Formats: sequence, C-alpha cells, structure tokens
Amino acid sequence: MAELVYQKWSGKINETIIGAGPLSIKIGAEEGLPFLFKEGKIPNQPRIAFEVWDIAPADWPDELAGQYKDVFNNPLEWAGKCVQEYQAQAICLRLQGAHPDFGNKSAEEEARLIKDLLKALDVPLIILGCGDDNKDNEVLPVCSQAASGKRCLIGSAVGDNYRTLAVAVLADGHSIIAESPIDINIAKQLNILISDMGIPLERIVINPTIGALGYGLEYAYSIMERARLAALAGDKMMAMPFICFVGQETWRAKEAKAGEKEFPQWGPEAERGVAWESVTAVALLQAGADLLVMRHPKAIDCVRKYIEVSFKDNI
Amino acid sequence: MKKLKVTFYPENKSIEIEKGKTILAAAISAHIYINSSCGGDGVCGRCKIILNKGEVISQPSGRLSPEQRKHGYYLACQTLVESDLEVLIPPESRLELDKLTQEEVDLRLKGLYSKAEEVGPPQSLIKEGIFRHSPLATKLYLELTPPDHTDRISDLERVLRHIRQNYDVKVIQIGLVNIRRLGSLLRDSDWKVTVTLGKRNGTTEIVLVEPGDTSEKNYGLCFDIGTTTISAQLIDLKTKKILGTKATYNRQASFGSDIITRIIYAREEDGLEKLHHAVIDTMNEMIKELVRENCVDLNDVNCILCAGNTTMVHLLLRVDPTYIRREPYVSTANFVPTIRANEAGIKINPRGLLSCVPGVSSYVGGDISAGILACGLDKEEEVCLLIDIGTNGEIVVGNKEFLISAAASAGPAFEGSGLSCGTRAARGAIQKVKISPKDFEVSFNVIKDVKPIGICGSGYIDIVSQMLKAGLIDKEGKFKQVKSSRLRKSDIGNEFILVFSGDSGTGSDIVVSEADIENIKRAKAAIFAASAILIEQLSLKFGDIDKVFIAGGFGTYLDMENAVSIGLLPDIERKKFIFVGNSSLAGAREVLLSYEAMKSITEIAKKVTYLELSIESRYMDEYMAAMFFPHTDKSRFPNMKE
Repeated sequence: MAELVYQKWSGKINETIIGAGPLSIKIGAEEGLPFLFKEGKIPNQPRIAFEVWDIAPADWPDELAGQYKDVFNNPLEWAGKCVQEYQAQAICLRLQGAHPDFGNKSAEEEARLIKDLLKALDVPLIILGCGDDNKDNEVLPVCSQAASGKRCLIGSAVGDNYRTLAVAVLADGHSIIAESPIDINIAKQLNILISDMGIPLERIVINPTIGALGYGLEYAYSIMERARLAALAGDKMMAMPFICFVGQETWRAKEAKAGEKEFPQWGPEAERGVAWESVTAVALLQAGADLLVMRHPKAIDCVRKYIEVSFKDNI
Repeated sequence: MKKLKVTFYPENKSIEIEKGKTILAAAISAHIYINSSCGGDGVCGRCKIILNKGEVISQPSGRLSPEQRKHGYYLACQTLVESDLEVLIPPESRLELDKLTQEEVDLRLKGLYSKAEEVGPPQSLIKEGIFRHSPLATKLYLELTPPDHTDRISDLERVLRHIRQNYDVKVIQIGLVNIRRLGSLLRDSDWKVTVTLGKRNGTTEIVLVEPGDTSEKNYGLCFDIGTTTISAQLIDLKTKKILGTKATYNRQASFGSDIITRIIYAREEDGLEKLHHAVIDTMNEMIKELVRENCVDLNDVNCILCAGNTTMVHLLLRVDPTYIRREPYVSTANFVPTIRANEAGIKINPRGLLSCVPGVSSYVGGDISAGILACGLDKEEEVCLLIDIGTNGEIVVGNKEFLISAAASAGPAFEGSGLSCGTRAARGAIQKVKISPKDFEVSFNVIKDVKPIGICGSGYIDIVSQMLKAGLIDKEGKFKQVKSSRLRKSDIGNEFILVFSGDSGTGSDIVVSEADIENIKRAKAAIFAASAILIEQLSLKFGDIDKVFIAGGFGTYLDMENAVSIGLLPDIERKKFIFVGNSSLAGAREVLLSYEAMKSITEIAKKVTYLELSIESRYMDEYMAAMFFPHTDKSRFPNMKE
C-alpha cells in the first residue's frame, strides 16, 4: 500500500494561557491543521467556556433560559452551577448590564462582581464588554484592574477601539480578544495594531466573527481556514488561537429558537436548538477554533464528547 | 420669466439670470469659476459663497458650520436666486483658472521635457529619431510644369503626378473646395504652390493648396486633456522644435472633479454641450495664446494631436459618454478617425486635422497608450510597470512581448480633491512636509513660496508618511493619544493643525483630519491593489520588475521614499523608479510628428489587454489588505523599518 504523504508546516500557532491557578487552560500551539495529528503536534484540546451574563438575558429562548432559570438573576450562582453541575472548564462573563440601554451598571459594580467571581471560582474567566465603545472603555479597564494577575481573557478590541483595552490588558497581565468582521485582512491589521501597543503575540486571541449554521457558517469557516493556513505557512501575525462565540450566534437563528407550535414539521425545539449549537460548534472546530463560548449544557456536553472521540487518535 | 441681477465680488461682475436658478449657475454664466467637486450635488461643500445682499432660498447643509451660517455663508449650488443679489466669493471657493505660471508649467512638465539633468535614465525613454519624421500634416512646395499641347493632363492630375513622381506619396483624397479653386490658383501663382498633405486614417489627402512657398510655416499642436489639467505644446512640424508649452486647468472642473460626476452631468439638460464647450474653450484659448506668443498665424496651424482619457475624448468630440459608466462599461469609440479640427470646434486652420490617440478601453484611454509609447514600454526587453496617478490610477505592466492594463478608481485624493484642505498642485499648495518626531513641529514648502492655501497630493503623501514616522498616527491611520497643541477634536473627528490660521493664506487653519488620511489610504490602496493584481496575474513579483515609470501631474514632485513608506509604491530598489511627468503629452507629440508613431500607438492600443478590476474577485481582497500603512502583509515592504 502506498504511504500517505503529510504536509509539514513551518509555522505554529501561539499558545495562550488563560487563568492563573491549577485549573488554568492552554489553547493553541497547533503545528498542523485541526485533527490532522500526523501533520504536526496538537498538544491542546479545544476548550469550551460557558457563557454567563451579569443580568438575566431577556432574549434567550425558553428552551435555553430554562436550563438556568434558578440562577438567572445571580451571576455568581449561575457560574457556580456551570462549574459544579456541568463541570465547566471556563466561564465567559458578558457584562451586558453595563450597557446604557440594559441597566447601565457602573464600572465599580462590575469590578466588584468580577472580584467576587474570581474569589468563588477556580476556573479561568473570560470577560466581555457590553458592546458600547464608550461604556466599555470606562468599564473594562476597571474590571481588568480588579482581575489583575488572574490572567483573564478580555474582549473585545475592534479596529476603531482597541487602545484603551490594550493598555489595561497589558498592565494587568491579561490576554486580549481581537475582533474583526469576518475579514482576514482586518484581523491581521488589528493584530499588528495591538502588538504595536506592546502586547505579546501569545496574549492575543482572534475572534474572527462567525455565523451560525445557515447564517454564513461556511463564510466564517473559509476565513478561519485561510487565516490558519497563512499562520501555519509562517505568518506570525495570524498565528493566534481562535475564540468563537457559538452560543451567541446559534441562539439568534430562527431554526434554533422557534417553537414547535410555530413550525410543527421542524420537530421539538428542545432537540433542535441543541443540535443547531452542536453542529455549528463542530464545524468551527474543523475550521480551527480553539476556544468555544457556548450556552446550552446539552450542546456543550455533545461537543465535548466529539472532541474526546476525535482526540483518541492523538497519540 | 423675471430676470434678476446677480453681482459677484470682488470682480464686481454682474449677470442677469432667471429667478430660481442657483448661484452656481449664475457664476458659470458670468464666467466666474467656483469650486464644485461634486458637480452641484451639495455634498462637497467646496462652493461656499457669502451673501452680502438680497434674498435666496437655501437648502440646509451640514457642510456649513454654525459660525459660517451666521456670517452669511451659503453653498452656491444649493442656493436659489430670489431677488437681485450681491455675492462675495471667498478665496478658498475660487477655482483658479488663471494660467499656470511658467514655473508651475515647468513643474508639471518636468521629466520628459525638462533640462537634461532632471530626466531619468535616457535609455528608458523614447530615443530621438526612433520614428521617421512624417508629421500628421506635411507641406510640400511644388513648382509645376505648366500644361502645353504635348502635356494636357488636368490641373488636378498634374498636381498629383508631381507629388507621386517627386515624393513617392500616393494621394487618395482631395476636397471639392480645393478643386473648385485649383484652376485659377495654379495660374495666378505661376504654377508655384504649396500643398498641405494630411494623413487621414491610412490615406493621404490634400488638405489645402496655397499660392507660393509657405512650406516653412507648418505648425501643429499636441494636447494632453486630463480630467484636471490640460497641457499643450506648439510644435514647428518642419524642424520638430517645441515653440511653447502651456498648461491650464480643465474648465470642466466646475461640473465635477472626477469623470463619473461629469458623465452624470452630461445627461442633464445641455450638460454634454456645456462640458464640450468647457474643454474646447480652454483649448482654443491656449492655442490663441501659444500662437500669439510665438508670432504664428493661426492659419499655419494645420493639425492637432490629442491624448486624453476615454471620457475626455468623448467630451471633446461631443460624443455622449453615458455608456462608459454603465455595465458592461463600453465606450462609443476608442479609435476615433482623424477629423477636421473645425468639426470639434477647435479653431486652427479651418481645414486643419484633429486626431486623437486611440484608447485601450473605457477606463484606459489614449493618454495611457501615449504614455506607453513615450516611456517605450512596448520596446522594453524586461518587464516594466507604468503607474499613471491621476484622478483615475492607471497601471500597465509589460514589455515588447505583451502589455496588460487596469484602471483603479483611486478618486481625486492625490489631486487634493475631496479632502478638507486639499488643493491642486498649484500656487499656494503645500507640496513638501516634514514633521518632527520630537515635538511634532511642522516645516513645509509651498509652490511659489506664498502663504499656503491648502495641501496638494504630494504634500499629503509626505504628511501621512511623516505622521507615521513621528508616531502621530497608527498603521490604520488613526490618531494616537499624544499630547500636542496641534491635535484637536472637532465634531467630525480628530484633526491635526498643519498651519495655524495666522500663517495661512485663507485665514483659517489648514488641517489634516482622520477622514483625510482615510481618503488617502483608500486612494493608495486602490493603486497598489491594482498594481499587485496585474503583477500577480503574470505570476510575477514586484521584485521582478525592471523599471517602474511613474507618470502624472504630481508624479514629478513626489517623494519616493515617502510614497513607498505609505504603501503607494512597491518597496523595491529605488533606482528602478523613473519619474516621467506628463508622459501622455510626450506620446502625443511623438505621434504628431510621425505617422510611424501613429501606427505604433495604434498597435499598442490594440495590443494592450485590459483587465476589468470590478469583476476581478481578488481585487477587493488585495484592496482590503492594502488598507493599512504600508500594508497588512509586512513581508511586501521588507525595507520599511518599524
């Protein structure tokens, strides 16, 4: 039988460490394309973080919200439930309540929450702003300081607004999420700009922006694939691990959230949403995702099993 | 309809106009030229005027600050005349239509025509005498043998036989006008006449028969009709001597600064007519002056050779350019037959000829064919690149084997248009800038050494490059948070004050805004991306290019290092760059003087492959990658240090 030929790459993805304690996680460090273990070493399995909000999300569909209904109003308990009940390896806290339209919580309030969370949790913490540039510039530096030394991953830096966050992240020893709108060039430009601010390359994680299944997933896939190929071919400014916000995108899709009464032929929503989130996540893992932020515990469980099975061959 | 009187100051020039017309329309009728980049859409804010007296109806505009509104400023294009008016035109709104000074002309035409030391390596440019001397119009002095009983062929036959026997030229055509006059003319002039022969589309015709010997007096003109600038030379066709060179602004600028705006304007009522007249009026005035200054009789000017982009040629010939901007972007004619200048409204000898350099496509015109000829691109052994930076950026790659071209809609940023303090490269324009990295102090150089009124393209290139080096802006072109009294926040974003109001010629601060830098970034990205696509199309790298010819009105005072550092030009050996200035005019002159050059340029226009970037899927990607200073892919600019 003919021997299989394997591609050998000159580049390698950076390894980013999130968290400071014994439960810190490592992402990235691949030497080849996803799951092609013979191409190069893939020392770290992709990780999944549970998404937790500082306020009760208003727009989560019932099927999803139902999973957390007892803890929905208490981010500390919510995060605790994810760790204790679902064995979360990381928590992604979205500071939605800081948004001027959704509660307008102060920077101090959010910082206090983060301190409390860090005290209560041993797993690594990812912190996301509310999406309002001005407010994020006010809140995130204070939160970053509150988490100083805990090696969090904080986001998101975008092309128009990266400096304030970059300065804070650099000073407090965290890593930064660089978000670009499904564009390989803008992703790279932002990485250059952030690294120009003095942040080491291994402390940058790319959020390539994704679409859920049926909502541009293949577009996101091809952008990630191209970025990964460029990185493995030696482009250091593309050699960052990817973070993908799977939950956020999936649960916006009509197919994930619509009730069975509305579309009886689509089947029960309890299965549908989970399937939608799982399929989206698995596709992105194949594109090279290193860190997934997900919502539904069943979907997370399913994807975890997929990773486990896929990594069986990684000897 | 009631007529109202509008008086413009400081000229104190009045015009009667119908009620309800715009002040801009009144100004054009009064032959007062006001800036109007958008062609009267009210979006560019360049046509500010001050109303001293009278009533108007005005559309609100975000282009006027509350301060300006308080002081009676209006946009001329958005303001309708309601009563007799007194209008003051502030200097910044004035479209300087004065002739460029000799120095400015020299600046524009530096390169091919300049003194020897300023020309690039001569082997790259067209060699003297490469084409046999055979101008578009040739004069022959004939001493004919009068007829007798043994030689009774007709008068016309006699003339043709003489030419055939003595000059080996086969005349095909002669106009009826000439034949009607021929009998008496030959006899009255004792059979000694001068015949003007013209080359028309592969045939030779007798343009004119004159009594006596006037063969010493044969002149022609070559023109470069640019979107912004029109340049012309008066040539002695017999001696090939350049008698005079002039450049002036294209008056069509009043109808919009780029070709697309003008094509749209052409569809308006009388739009085509107005655009046509704007260009021929400009040309006729230039001809009149060239002729007067050199004591040449207008009747001895027998031909004109024009090179211009496809739209300019359409407008010159009063051909509707509409379809150039409609998919699939097809022009009415790229190869225009030689016509009588008279037909286009150009005033030279009434029977004189006008020929246009053939173009490649709707967006790569005769100016580029002429540029290729002038640079000798079609004769090069090695692969060379020609970049013509104008309102449109045209790129040609090739050598004697092949030529491929593309046009990038760079926009008029490098000509100073669409920028908050942009101006054309003329008197009062800041053309060279240095910014100290220590204290951000600015030093600059102004064309003609007067108080600055604005910044031209080369000035902007220097500014962006210097700001990057001084750490004022990041690689995306956004201002960093630095402390400087020159940096301030306005309601439309951050801006850098280059010249404080006290030192400027306009009385206002001359500033560079984040939006200006964005504009420059887009323009340079378009040109770089087009070059990159063409190079890649041929499976080449920039490093494989033997020579890079840089043409265009501003290519002559371009700081190469700065142009590379912002990513406009590729980062290759600097000695490969050759500045050629106005290569279009040079090419037109060659063609005027040689029929062989005309054949050669026709071959060039046919040979050039045109790559339509708008349907090229990689273009957008290349463009996005180039939207960074100098480029997203650092490896393309290996010599640019951090």
